[in-house]
Amino acid sequence: MLSANGGALLGDIRATTVSGRGFTPEELVDNTLDRIIFISASADPVLRQQAEAFRKSIRGVLLNYGNQCVRSNHTTIANRLRDVGHPELTKLLEG
Amino acid sequence: MAGFTTAMPTSFKVEILKAVHNFSNPGGNTFKLALGKASGVLTGTYGAATTSYDNLTSNSDELPNGSGYTTGGNTLTSVTPVADGTTAVCDFDNTTWTSATFTTSGGIIYNDTASGNPACAVLSFGGDQQVSSGDFQIQFPAATASTAIIRIA
Repeated sequence: MLSANGGALLGDIRATTVSGRGFTPEELVDNTLDRIIFISASADPVLRQQAEAFRKSIRGVLLNYGNQCVRSNHTTIANRLRDVGHPELTKLLEG
Repeated sequence: MAGFTTAMPTSFKVEILKAVHNFSNPGGNTFKLALGKASGVLTGTYGAATTSYDNLTSNSDELPNGSGYTTGGNTLTSVTPVADGTTAVCDFDNTTWTSATFTTSGGIIYNDTASGNPACAVLSFGGDQQVSSGDFQIQFPAATASTAIIRIA
């Protein structure tokens, strides 16, 4: 113990897996949101309400840009597939 | 019994006082998270008595190279330690192994810069985590006085 009330402490991590695919933007955003906006369990109810509203807003922004990243990356991959003579494979990126 | 137990290595507490580790970013040390094998095939025991990443490799308990894993583990992006109230907190960004096929039961965060690869944390994943042609992500807690991955209160 470094003092009567303290010490060196270790927090809890969380391990998440998905198989047969990568993480979706929704999953990545939800996995990250607590690191951006952490609302204490002991927070004042009014502050908590405001924080939760802000958290919801930030989630929407992150999700929007996450989805844009996916679409942009699909564009890049589609062009590379066309460049190497496999335009038919770009259909795999649709939907 | 072989396996991982989430713990802060005792050696790490001593090393903090000897200024072995620098979590600043930029300008600090390089920290990595190495993954161990599935619980059924581990031969070593990892917890508070673990001193180094080398403990994992000497027992051949690290995941092998390939299938989305590179021996030595993922480099972690450290966030420079700050104070939250009267508690000093350390943080890392979430880290992901992509296009991965493996089963792991725990890992060791270690200092890749310091001599001897000293361990900073031993992590149990609460059982075997299996990923097949997918992604495996470790999410670190929020950097607060009550939750941060490494904190000194």
